[in-house]
Amino acid sequence: MKRKHIIVGTLIASGLVGGQQARADATSDAISDLKQQIEALDQKVRVLERQKEIDTEAAEAKAKDAPKITIGNSGLSAASGDTNFVFQLHGLLQVDNRTFFNDRDNHNQSIVGNDTFLLRRARPIFSGTVYKDFDFMFVPDFGGSSVQIFDAYLNYRYAPWLQLRAGKFKTPVGLEQLQSDQYTYFNERGLPTALMPNRDIGFQLWGEVAGGKLSYAVGVFNGVADGRNTSNADFEDHRELAGRVFLTPFKGTSLTALQNLGFGVGGSWGNVSSNATGLASSYLTDGQQTFFSYTNNVAASGTHWRLSPQGYYYWGPFGLLGEYVISDQEVRKGAAKADLQNTAWQIAAGWVLTGEAASYTGVTPKHPFDPRSNHWGALQLVARYEDLNIDNNAFPIFANPGTSASEAHAWSVGLNWYLNKNIRANVSYSRTSFDGKINPAAATVTRQPEEVVFTRLQLAF
Amino acid sequence: MKSLLKLFVGLVAISMAGYAPAKDVKLLNVSYDPTRELYQDINKAFAKQWKDKTGDTVTIEQSHGGSGKQARAVIDGLEADVVTLALAYDIDAIAEKSGQIAKDWQRRLGENSTPYTSTIVFLVRKGNPRGIKDWDDLIRPNVKIVTPNPKSSGGARWNYLAAWGYALKNNNNNEAKAKEFVTKLFHNVPILDPGARGATTTFVQRGIGDVLIAWENEALLSLKDSPGKFEIVTPSVSILAEPPVAWVDKVVKRHGTEPVAKAYLEFLYSPEGQEIAARDFYRPRNQEVAQKYANQFPKITLFTVDELFGGWQKAQKTHFDNDGTFDQIQAGDLDNR
Repeated sequence: MKRKHIIVGTLIASGLVGGQQARADATSDAISDLKQQIEALDQKVRVLERQKEIDTEAAEAKAKDAPKITIGNSGLSAASGDTNFVFQLHGLLQVDNRTFFNDRDNHNQSIVGNDTFLLRRARPIFSGTVYKDFDFMFVPDFGGSSVQIFDAYLNYRYAPWLQLRAGKFKTPVGLEQLQSDQYTYFNERGLPTALMPNRDIGFQLWGEVAGGKLSYAVGVFNGVADGRNTSNADFEDHRELAGRVFLTPFKGTSLTALQNLGFGVGGSWGNVSSNATGLASSYLTDGQQTFFSYTNNVAASGTHWRLSPQGYYYWGPFGLLGEYVISDQEVRKGAAKADLQNTAWQIAAGWVLTGEAASYTGVTPKHPFDPRSNHWGALQLVARYEDLNIDNNAFPIFANPGTSASEAHAWSVGLNWYLNKNIRANVSYSRTSFDGKINPAAATVTRQPEEVVFTRLQLAF
Repeated sequence: MKSLLKLFVGLVAISMAGYAPAKDVKLLNVSYDPTRELYQDINKAFAKQWKDKTGDTVTIEQSHGGSGKQARAVIDGLEADVVTLALAYDIDAIAEKSGQIAKDWQRRLGENSTPYTSTIVFLVRKGNPRGIKDWDDLIRPNVKIVTPNPKSSGGARWNYLAAWGYALKNNNNNEAKAKEFVTKLFHNVPILDPGARGATTTFVQRGIGDVLIAWENEALLSLKDSPGKFEIVTPSVSILAEPPVAWVDKVVKRHGTEPVAKAYLEFLYSPEGQEIAARDFYRPRNQEVAQKYANQFPKITLFTVDELFGGWQKAQKTHFDNDGTFDQIQAGDLDNR
């Protein structure tokens, strides 16, 4: 009996133990299965998260390739994702006032009709790039009495140092002439610009070498008279060669005081058939009044060359710009011939009173105009002296000393207020004196010095 | 007037005479995914050497991504002065489709324009929990593999061909068997990154998968960056990966960077360049440097693309072009899911 009990007890005990072992094994298997399932699920979650990450990266990369439209103080720009195609819209609006003083002569006859508000420039500027290397620009002007096309050209960029431009654009000669209209110190460019060619039709090779330390341009053009724009066609067969070399040898160097020192020379050479259109009809004062004109039937006839050494210097708020130009023109009137050499020069300086850096491409205010924040933009004081000398041989056969002066020299002072990068307001005073006049007729410009106050409100973007 | 002209001419003469200012030169190196560290080191050393030699400051910008994607970017207009891509086919594509590189580019520099080589190995987690020893272990159902997408990644194409080549060798060059093997292998790939570096991120940082099929240099770099976490398994046979380099003829002419671009690539063959390559885990061509780093690179039986696949043009067309074997495998794999 006792033995039986022992056996039964042993059996029960071993059953219990065996059962516990079996349950333990089953639990262990279940845990192992669960662990594997969790690991598998964990991997799936990780894969999904990583896939999302990859998709996000791909979407971001794709977004970089998407076309971009930007608008800001540099105008409107639309560009393909790879920037191979770009279209830009800029604009320039200049509303001027000219008020003349003391233009009543001692016969009490005044020059009438020269005080004026005027729309000096109103230009939408379309520019851009197609197929990465081809740039274009198209600039009509709605200022003045008729709509004109000022720039219309294509430019192929093989490399920064080798580019080809063809169409209508500024001839590469004059320093201030080549400066963008929105950045000039005064409302009107200095007297040397009167002897420079303006926009012409042709083509030029140009480029910037050594990171912009040297720029060059050489081209073939129809040829235009001093200070003139082309009329979009030419009426004689000869072409004009023009070129310019400009150095900024310290650009990008550690010599900060010399980084914006630039100097160079521009020039042109052409041969003009006897043709009145090859000759400047007049030279203008700062106030855009004629102080010199050739008499009737005087025509350009023969060689016309120009040479213009030039330079600028900017350091901190200080800026200085100077240029000299000779325009040598063979002329004829009937049987009379002459080789006339007219010259002009100017020196202009500026000081940004609010401390911003001056440059050939304007001033950017540190604190754009916002009176609520006590920000007032940038103020620049500017001054200029300029002179234009007509060859004495022009008188009296080719020009009338009664209506034309042989020399004009002027000084100007002004104040430019840059409200922000886009808006500028300026006021300036200019006084031009005339030499070489002989008994000027009443109400002629040269009879007394020209004194004029300019104002301008400018929008440029 | 004459005195003014004299003054001007004098100024120009003074400024130009003997004036040879030090230049700042920029190069863009468009490369494939895992070469970031290599070219950071190469660029630093080359810039110093170039400065000492010429006085010019050269700055080399790097662009990295899947090799095929990088090649397409250059074809589409990315102005690379030099390309250092994962495989010759991608540089051939630039030469053919854009005309920016001379077609004989591979003959212009030594060793077929391949200054360093690599191969394909396995990176597994510490302790090798899945017991992976060779290619056959990758097609076991319980193994998850990480490898990038051969459509965009040069490294992935090397991986693919390494697997295919192994299967050919083990099956008496039976293409059908090889395709079956690679199909099974890709069935175990849960995610395809666009580039080799992305695949490394997936495996190393995101903890996905049991094995990463990787460039040897990338695997060694992972060991260095994450000590004690991974192991490298060298398969019985693999492929000799030859990443080539070339200057982009038309771009360097346009940028005026031809001499410096050529010197940059030639520097890769110099003892200093080879030493840097070896330090960054690329197998150097220079025998002396190779000897010095012999312990870093285990001996392995290697086959080439030319030997087993008839060159890159043929391999690309057969396996990676649209409707090639990779597309077929992917389509079949999707059908089975």
